[in-house]
Amino acid sequence: MESLKSLFGRMRRGQLLALGWLAGVVLLALLAPVLPLPYPAGIPDLAHVAEAPSRASRHWLGTDPQGGDVLSGLLFGARTALLLTLPAALLANLLGGVVGGAAGFWGNRLLVSAPAMGLAPLALAWVLGMPPLAVAAGAVTVGALWAWRCMRRLPASIAAPLDSLVLATVSSLDTVPRLVLVLALVARGGLSVAGLGLVLGLTAWSGPARLVRARMLAVKALPFVEAAQASGLPLARVWWHHALPHALKPLQTALPLSLAGLLALESTLSFLGIGLPPDVASWGQQLAAARQQPQAWWAVVFPALALFATIISINVLTTRKSSLSN
Amino acid sequence: MVRLLLRHLGQTLLATWLLASVVFLLTRADGEQAVRLALAPAADLSMPAVSQAEELASRAAARHRLGLDRPLFYVGCSAAGSWEWGGWHNQYHQWLRALLHGNLGTSFRSGELVSHRLAQALAFTLPLTGLAAVLAILAALVLATGMAAFPRWQGPVRTVLVGLHSVPLFIVALALLLLFANPELLNWFPAYGAAPEVGTHALKQFFDALPQLVLPVAALVLAAVPELTLQLASALAHELRQPYIVTARAKGLRASAVVRHHALRNALLPTLAQLAELLPAMAAGAVVVETIFALPGMGRLLAEAAATRDYPLLVGGVLLVGLARLLSLLLADLSYSWADPRIRWKA
Amino acid sequence: MLLGSCLDKHAPPAAIRIRWAHDPETLAPLALQNQSAMDASNLMYLSLLQVNSKPLSIEPALAEQLPEVGPRGDSLTTFRYTIRPNAAWDDGRPVTAADVACTLKLMSCPGIPNEISRNNYSRIRQIELNPANSRQFTLVCQGQSPELLLISGDFFILPEAVLDPQHRLRSYSLPALQRWPATRPPDSALAAVARQYQAADLANHPEHAPGCGPYRLARWEKDRYLSFRSKPNWWGKATTGLPLALQARAPQLDYLIIPNASAAALALRRGDLDVFPQVPAADFNRFSTNPSADVRLYASDSYDIALAGFNTKRPALADALTRQALSRLFDTAGLLRGTQQGRGQRTAGLVPPFDRTNYNDSLRPVPYHPAAARALLLQAGWQPPTAGQPGWRRASSRGEQKLQLAVRYRSSDELFATAALQFRAAATSLGIAVELRPTESALFGKALADGDFDIFMRTLHGNPFAVNFAPLLHSGTSSETNSTRFGNPACDQFIDAVATANDSPQRVRQLRQLQALLQQQAPLVPFFFLANRVAARRDCQGLYVSSLKPGFVAPTIERTAAAASR
Repeated sequence: MESLKSLFGRMRRGQLLALGWLAGVVLLALLAPVLPLPYPAGIPDLAHVAEAPSRASRHWLGTDPQGGDVLSGLLFGARTALLLTLPAALLANLLGGVVGGAAGFWGNRLLVSAPAMGLAPLALAWVLGMPPLAVAAGAVTVGALWAWRCMRRLPASIAAPLDSLVLATVSSLDTVPRLVLVLALVARGGLSVAGLGLVLGLTAWSGPARLVRARMLAVKALPFVEAAQASGLPLARVWWHHALPHALKPLQTALPLSLAGLLALESTLSFLGIGLPPDVASWGQQLAAARQQPQAWWAVVFPALALFATIISINVLTTRKSSLSN
Repeated sequence: MVRLLLRHLGQTLLATWLLASVVFLLTRADGEQAVRLALAPAADLSMPAVSQAEELASRAAARHRLGLDRPLFYVGCSAAGSWEWGGWHNQYHQWLRALLHGNLGTSFRSGELVSHRLAQALAFTLPLTGLAAVLAILAALVLATGMAAFPRWQGPVRTVLVGLHSVPLFIVALALLLLFANPELLNWFPAYGAAPEVGTHALKQFFDALPQLVLPVAALVLAAVPELTLQLASALAHELRQPYIVTARAKGLRASAVVRHHALRNALLPTLAQLAELLPAMAAGAVVVETIFALPGMGRLLAEAAATRDYPLLVGGVLLVGLARLLSLLLADLSYSWADPRIRWKA
Repeated sequence: MLLGSCLDKHAPPAAIRIRWAHDPETLAPLALQNQSAMDASNLMYLSLLQVNSKPLSIEPALAEQLPEVGPRGDSLTTFRYTIRPNAAWDDGRPVTAADVACTLKLMSCPGIPNEISRNNYSRIRQIELNPANSRQFTLVCQGQSPELLLISGDFFILPEAVLDPQHRLRSYSLPALQRWPATRPPDSALAAVARQYQAADLANHPEHAPGCGPYRLARWEKDRYLSFRSKPNWWGKATTGLPLALQARAPQLDYLIIPNASAAALALRRGDLDVFPQVPAADFNRFSTNPSADVRLYASDSYDIALAGFNTKRPALADALTRQALSRLFDTAGLLRGTQQGRGQRTAGLVPPFDRTNYNDSLRPVPYHPAAARALLLQAGWQPPTAGQPGWRRASSRGEQKLQLAVRYRSSDELFATAALQFRAAATSLGIAVELRPTESALFGKALADGDFDIFMRTLHGNPFAVNFAPLLHSGTSSETNSTRFGNPACDQFIDAVATANDSPQRVRQLRQLQALLQQQAPLVPFFFLANRVAARRDCQGLYVSSLKPGFVAPTIERTAAAASR
């Protein structure tokens, strides 16, 4: 308790404000279903479409071009941001950090035992339902190759081109237009909300991966990493305990930014008809109303302000943490 | 060094081929959609009734015309669920052969050469995005060095930049449009550049088009600056804590000189990844900005190709953007070694 | 300097600048895929007949007068046309019956992208030339319905001299080409014709071939603009009594491609644009509440109808009572007010209420009435949800049915996005589970054809001359057009009778009965006919707004100053 108090004591006013805003958003998001709102979210009020904020109609923040109440949309949208977008952003950054860090650290020299490398494509073929005969033939070939390597006394493991693999995946992910990716997904049926979160997370990790990989290239060459390696620690341990924490630095700036990026992406996806179901409110979808009627500023400005304040708050808190850790 | 460069180039080409193949196969697997769209939009009250047989016949004709009646790949999964050999005359093989001859195919919709259409769009997109990229980099350099030299301003500038970044691009673009091309507010720029007179000089056309480019470029710069600046600033802050900076300061150098001559070069390293990102983004155009400001660029072209399932155009565009991206990665890796000699090329 | 250059006021240009949301992308006259391409072709080519906007009628264009119509046998009709004597191509050659024959044969020639025209004009079975008069010919059409008149004359005539200079097609008869199996490869002569057609590249460079219309494509920058110049010595200038669309008064028509409606509205206010057709309801409303001295607003009826439809092959939706119940959950009056600012007309059927002769005015639009919907559901044998069992259920011979609805609409369509939310709210209040599936535009057509929906919502385009429900609701048509898969013997009978009836009063009676039957069967829920809204600069005169696509006549527009000096 005392330490908590001292922590608050050391915070500046801006940071207290940021913490307060975030706590408020989380609280409102969790309480949204039980709050006494004049209008529920997701039900259009056809008598008041795209109306400016007014007390008479009790649409305190106005209505959007579809007749939805902006206030209840904001509150339920906060819920979606908390339960869907934030986890997706965390997933993307975590995945990107680990994969990019590994690629930068090991480069193209990750040693993998040879049979394991041969068996992976075979397993894939099996999963894809290739003819059993072909799979069996492949297995025999792999076995023969391995035996040959054993006879020639070649090392049992070969270097996997991890860095190239990761780079190729990252750049393919970024290059294949989202539209194509999305079309491929939609052709196989729609997406559930959880599925959407997963897709968001899995398509957004390339940016963080790139940043962390770049930083890892520099960190790897630093004396303390080389010293740790020289002292005989296992490579994985050096990577995890010594190199990775330093290489993850750029993510402090990237996390709040990627959160904003995901919200924008989510609004694009709903525009393509594969985003959230239209009856689930989200800030991204509220912002997308600007495409229909930019002149209905109230439908855009309030969610934009909410997003703005949230991102800035997260940013203020993360930079504070970094200055503390230093 | 040359061997290394060749090696990387080879890898780049291989990756481009893989990427284009994946996109080709992904899109063509949905070929029926293109056939459907090549025929008249269904269910019009004024359309004469079409029998099932006529419908099937016209589909078969369209499928044949678009070359979609061949097997997709060397091997394929038949309707029964078993694997079968597709023969050499499959769509993929034909496409790859044409590609090796430098032929990207013709558009499904207009029958125009894909390379011609892409070149047309690029000729408009590159000046726009290139200008925006240069301005964004300059602005980021100025802002970041400024933030490093004047720590007191760091907090506010940072907040503004993060806030700016949290606003989606289409809102920025729409806001610019409604503020500066609006007769009711500020009537400074055209919402649409007047169509040039037929036969005017190219240079005059370019200057005529300039006012029309101000708002889109501004939108793109505003969208790109925050991320660039923030990364560069945080990298600069990191470098400024390093011992060599203390040494430089101890020598009595001015703060701005320390930043410019010592820290910047090292701080550029993590930012290079993002600078390299700009090249493919330049080639890909910006669909949001192009749509709002009615500019005929790559972004709109590719988005519409995807919406209308114009696969040759789409695959051509992806190939182009992919090539730009892979080249940019190559450049980034090369410049890493320039910026930080500690990173040596290892096999 | 930059600011100065864009602030200085230029004199208004001679060109009339019109907004298009999309580039036509291809102008191939045999494969016109969108309204923009249709409008552009209307400027460059002519057809035998032309639908006139004011008065609303079918008038001769390239034909001297309306054709002489006569029956042949009991299943064919003949149309005898004579082409205007002064009609000529740009290169001076006269337009002859041989050009018409060539056009019709190109529509059926294998190896040419012509599927759209082939399907639309497959009922023209034969063309008989008159050896004595090169301008005269007879078209033989399948069927005897009145709508054949428009089909027989509503296609663009192409120049034989450019597309088939060796007269290869003359040795083939039209029926022989129409019977050509899709799988059979074209023989060498036809392959040569196809190559010649592709080489002419009408899709991208129609200006390279002569046309017989009043305008010529002067410049086309894709995704940017198309510029049409009127031909100084066009043959029609000397001709009087031409339909409005052929009275080329505008010297230059520029179609600007502006995808974003807000940008187009600003461009109109600034004077960068002259005509903004099909203004979205919200922008139109803003123009009218916030009037500008420079902009004038026009509105008219249109034949575009917004509607919902049921998948009648789903067991839960197979009976009329359930469909009637669900159609009472659409608040069409509220939607008209909320999304269209009240412009447009609610309707009881697919015939527009402003079509006084054909509309069945004894019918009322389906009211929004959730309580009545509940009663109808109970009547249809559904069990309301209980504490233990959420959702409506009903026992049938093939096990228990559940009332769960998936609603599909185009994700880009704002009207239906609102309608879907409204329907979902109304259905949820009754305890019916509704899942909304906004669908990407291209996939929407596939979902409808595959039957992957319970309810769909979309807009249908109609026209005043063809009242033909067969593609939409006849049991014999493919699910490609009959999305509801509706088929009912009584309805089929009426649809066939309406399509073939020549006798006007009887046809009207049957059409009215059909509307009543369709409302009772409720395969579709008609919402309302949308309004046609056009905004234009005030110095543009001669703008005729009509319910025909594209909603106004472009060639008659001219600037007040230019008109006064003429």
